[in-house]
Amino acid sequence: MHTSSAEVTREYGPLPDVEGIHGVTYDGRQVWFATDGRMNALDPDSGRVLRSIDVPADAGTAFDGKHLFQMAKGRIRKIDPDTGRVLATIPAPDGQVSGLTWAEGFLWVGQYRERKIHQIDPETGAVLRSVQSNRHVTGVSWVDGDLWHGTWEDGASELRRVDASTGEVLEILEMPPGAAVSGLESDGRDLFFCGGADLGVVRTVRRPQPVR
Amino acid sequence: MDSMISAAAHALAAGDPLGALDRVALRDDAPALALRGIALAQLGDFSRARMLLRRAMRAFGARQAVARARCVVAEADIALASRELNWAAKSLDAARATLEAHGDKANAAYARYLEARRLLLLGHPDEAERKLDQLNPASFPPSMTAIHELISAGIQMRHLKAAAAHAALDRAGRAAQRAGIPALTAEVDNTLQVLNAPAARLMRSGLERSLRLGEVEALMESEALVLDAFRYVVRDAGKTVSLVRRPVLFALARALGEAWPHDVSRDTLVARIFRARTADDSYRARLRVEVGRLRAELRALADVRATKRGFALEPRRARDVAVLARPVEERHAAVLAFLADGESWSSSALALALGASQRTVQRQLDALTASGRVQPFGRGRARRWIACPVPGFTTALLLPDAMSIG
Repeated sequence: MHTSSAEVTREYGPLPDVEGIHGVTYDGRQVWFATDGRMNALDPDSGRVLRSIDVPADAGTAFDGKHLFQMAKGRIRKIDPDTGRVLATIPAPDGQVSGLTWAEGFLWVGQYRERKIHQIDPETGAVLRSVQSNRHVTGVSWVDGDLWHGTWEDGASELRRVDASTGEVLEILEMPPGAAVSGLESDGRDLFFCGGADLGVVRTVRRPQPVR
Repeated sequence: MDSMISAAAHALAAGDPLGALDRVALRDDAPALALRGIALAQLGDFSRARMLLRRAMRAFGARQAVARARCVVAEADIALASRELNWAAKSLDAARATLEAHGDKANAAYARYLEARRLLLLGHPDEAERKLDQLNPASFPPSMTAIHELISAGIQMRHLKAAAAHAALDRAGRAAQRAGIPALTAEVDNTLQVLNAPAARLMRSGLERSLRLGEVEALMESEALVLDAFRYVVRDAGKTVSLVRRPVLFALARALGEAWPHDVSRDTLVARIFRARTADDSYRARLRVEVGRLRAELRALADVRATKRGFALEPRRARDVAVLARPVEERHAAVLAFLADGESWSSSALALALGASQRTVQRQLDALTASGRVQPFGRGRARRWIACPVPGFTTALLLPDAMSIG
């Protein structure tokens, strides 16, 4: 196993008035992270927040290739990321919702505690179908190669590369003291975006080149 | 492999399809299509899932054998979940061989698990067990261990081994917890409910109560003479006599068994066996004939003694007589009793066993299909019927009274 210090290439924040970061989404150009009452677009190249959209945000974020969808307090808002305008507001399913995503032309809202997933018409908010998942279909694993995840124990955080099939830890990047990792996203190339659980910080960490 | 695919694959492995779609929903390259397919299967949209997997297979092309093989396995999983059991076992086997040859042990094992689940569903618990024995769950991640133990529990339930089934479910539950996949935990919980639900009714010395699987197991291992209305057999510790093709004789034996140690009057027997209102001489003659036949069948187990007002059962070795019946008896119970062995039956075979016309049996099967109690698969002459839920599978649909204990 290889242990080294994480190379934090950029630290963004702490942002004023940010209690915590609820969701991190990468739209191919910008990293969107939702904080209370605001969505912030971070340019990974310059490391700057290009824009903030004031919108209620306390749960999942989704992106359909053109619009952002942000869930908050029983509503899903459809937002034009260029202008920041709220184009539509549709109702979200009742209950404790814990995830929002866009796929195959629909919005999908997960209620993990109830094991329910709702398929929603993105125009009207009508629930088209609710699935109660009581059986794990397709446990086919597609993971090979690098699998990274963040840990946070006893105040120390690490990024770990593990063998997907055995769970064996292959590589550890130690985050600097106090730099907690609450969410890990990749830009698809050589950077990780780490949502900081503390103080509303987003950090970028360089992904080590794979040693084979 | 790029890291978005990697992250999506990780999310899927952790039972988080929405997290996976966050990463790949907008991509149309082959690996993304495959992951979208698997995620949609986890969301329960099987037809769209299948379409995506087929597109992925085409996009991978012939050279990416492992990726294509994974698509085949995922499609077989969807087929199993949607109860299409007539899939091409050959192509799944070929996919498994490809995965094994390329060192993808986890998915090769998953293919074997699918095959074992299918065998169990088709009523071949012994063959399913042989498949399972070839795999060592200790070398797999927790989600696979959970699946292994769930299948094992299903097999043990089929074998009436309640304690072993409980132990397997315990292990499945712990593995599902470690895997952190809510759907797996739900599957374990549902199977446990089935295992703890009434599995049968026991009628003994005029008293009646419901039994759980563990109690059925204990009864089967006891010294009692058991009239098993699930499988139409009469057994004691030493011998089993099947009356599966003699429903009238079983009905007679059961009536006598329920009354034991007392006798049953001729009138009652005639009313129950022949559904006749009055026991005239012709019915009494028919009853005598049937009693003679039953006596011959049960010779090694019990005698049927004539009494002043009727007949009584007299076990040879056993000191106790128990009738084991379905928790709920209903119309078409006879058809269900045959299907309860978990075998796949053709309507002509059922007609033969029931002594009814094939058309009658088909009508009953249609009614049972409509109420979700039986399931057809195959078409035309190859069409077969099985009793609906099997432990470890359609756990959400499992009804205790449909459980097979055969």
